[in-house]
Amino acid sequence: MRRIRFHGRGGQGMKTASRIVSTAAFREGYDTQDAPIYGAERRGAPMAAFTRIDHAPILERGMIAAPDLVVVADETLFDDPQAGVLRGLQASGTVLANSAHAPALLRERYGIVPALAVLDFTGLVLSHVGSLAALSVALGAATCRVAGLCTSSVEQAVQEELEALGLSADRIERNLDLARLCYERVDVWLPVQPAAVPAPVAVPRPQVVTLTYQGPWRGTPSVAAPANTPLRKTGNWRVWRPVIDLARCTQCWMCFVSCPDGAIALDDADTPHIDYEVCKGCLVCVEECPTHTIHTLREAEV
Amino acid sequence: MTRELLTGNAAAAWGARLAEVDYVPAFPITPQTEIIETLATWFGEGTMPGKFVSMDSEHSMLTAAGAAAATGARVFTATSSQGLLYAAELLYTVAGWRVPLVLVNVSRALASPITLEPDHNDVLAARDSGCLQIHAETCQEVLDSILMAYRIAEDPRVLLPVIVNLDGFALSFTREPVTRPSLEQVRAFLPPYSPTHARFTAARPMAQGIAVLGGALYSFFRYQMHLAAQNARAVHGEVAQAFREAFGRRYGLVEGYRLLDADYALVMSNAYATRGKAAINRFRAQGIPVGLLRLRVLRPFPALAIAAALEGKKAVAVIDQNLSVGFGGITVAEVASALYQERDRPPLLSYIGGLGGKDLSDAEFDQILQDLQRNADTGHVPPPRLLYTEREDAQTTAFLEVAGKGTRHVE
Repeated sequence: MRRIRFHGRGGQGMKTASRIVSTAAFREGYDTQDAPIYGAERRGAPMAAFTRIDHAPILERGMIAAPDLVVVADETLFDDPQAGVLRGLQASGTVLANSAHAPALLRERYGIVPALAVLDFTGLVLSHVGSLAALSVALGAATCRVAGLCTSSVEQAVQEELEALGLSADRIERNLDLARLCYERVDVWLPVQPAAVPAPVAVPRPQVVTLTYQGPWRGTPSVAAPANTPLRKTGNWRVWRPVIDLARCTQCWMCFVSCPDGAIALDDADTPHIDYEVCKGCLVCVEECPTHTIHTLREAEV
Repeated sequence: MTRELLTGNAAAAWGARLAEVDYVPAFPITPQTEIIETLATWFGEGTMPGKFVSMDSEHSMLTAAGAAAATGARVFTATSSQGLLYAAELLYTVAGWRVPLVLVNVSRALASPITLEPDHNDVLAARDSGCLQIHAETCQEVLDSILMAYRIAEDPRVLLPVIVNLDGFALSFTREPVTRPSLEQVRAFLPPYSPTHARFTAARPMAQGIAVLGGALYSFFRYQMHLAAQNARAVHGEVAQAFREAFGRRYGLVEGYRLLDADYALVMSNAYATRGKAAINRFRAQGIPVGLLRLRVLRPFPALAIAAALEGKKAVAVIDQNLSVGFGGITVAEVASALYQERDRPPLLSYIGGLGGKDLSDAEFDQILQDLQRNADTGHVPPPRLLYTEREDAQTTAFLEVAGKGTRHVE
């Protein structure tokens, strides 16, 4: 069985990517399974999706704990312990990452040991389709190549999935071009399962324990600790960074009042400043600024 | 202490008053309305301190009840039938908050067809919610059970809501002698509620009703509720003992009536158990050793007490005043589960009786006895049976005639 785990942020299309791979494999006669998991749905929050491909009926459900291939739509997720991007990845496995950085840099920065393939899918998507949602097609097609699926089933899967999402024929055609391009660009990568699979390391099985009554303080679902939201930094959600040109800012405070996360503060001179540890990159401030004084930079180029 | 005639509803209102509840969110529904009318009068004239609020639905009512209880207030509320079902989502939710409010349900059969008289499909729909359940047979027991319910619910080993159930009409509108304890007596029995886990303190805020993701944390908190409910068996025993010392009346998880030396047993619950006891007396007068087991505390389920009470009986008949459509009686399955691991478990005969407040006649009890005796002689277990007489069938036929559905008409 091939077990593929996709990691992305809400809105980056990794659910659709998992479906494209699953559909392509299904069209080739495999038994497949795909499923996403996310919390309360919101754009930018880490999510995961799963695709299983096998010759026989699949007797597994739910999350993939030990994937052969991990697909990462957003390199900042490597740094997020909650996302657990590399968790359980087989030593013989492969990482397919979307990043504008070189593989050596990613290996060093995030301690990636298994086979690693890196491509600036975001750049390809922006130049060929324009909408970041097309990351789903780019990474879906690339994953199909790594999984050994043929190009015609990839095209059929992209067609089916995008039609189901209601895209126009014109947009589907541009996405198909993108899919072909991404599929072609990954042909040098390692197969998912090399010939010699190292013996799996024996992991001790946990004991089944007996719960005891904990008393109301511990045993009731409440939180007694003081407000802990500031501990959750959301700055790495951004693809685009809003930057205020302070020389042109008229201090109208529209950005300050419209930021949904309170990530913009005023200093002693009433000048707005963006807290990039918190700013999620929603760009509401860019929309609202009446003098067009806030511009955007692609985060990867900062 | 006062001895007086009280309806079941008035007894419920007195239970809330004597427990000195802080807050009553209310919404009317037949046959429960008299409870909140009585309380509203007392709050209005100032004989009850605290706050009474008319809500816009049972859903809001139970939300308010749970939220108030989560600030540390002692809360009482009451509903019935469709109202309980409308609040069903909140039954599960507030039980998960681990707030010890007391909810009186006045049993009334569920639509459709819509009706007003009692059976227990309403309260049994709340069976798995995490609310404990005490089912009362008399008006006295309604009042007493509410007082006991607060002390059980507020015990740190429990902290779950308690539903006290009484039958509509059969108890709710029926006056009978009730001994009403004095406020001083109740204060000595029921200390004020002072929680540490859920209360309102501005200087020490806490988040309650939180969300969790990932099954392990959810499993932990849900299973804590189950462990708390399990604890409630022993806590009930302690509270019943204290209640007996304070007021002289003793209540068990189950009640045995002429059961110890009986060969045969009927299993019943709520107000119709009184009819069952009358049948037992009639059979005993004929020299037939029959007894009755009344299920009083339904949650936590008193499996051991049931197994002990029915041990060695030749045959047992369970009368369910409820119907799980497509299955049969609800409590017969639970009684069976209590007996299954016993080496000498008695045969169980299953009856559905008293749906929608239908009376149980002597003829129907005679039929049950006949089946029990036949079972003892031959081992024959009749299929589950609806208690329904020829006369009632004729009456139904007559009504169908009036409704234009007589046999003269062609389908």
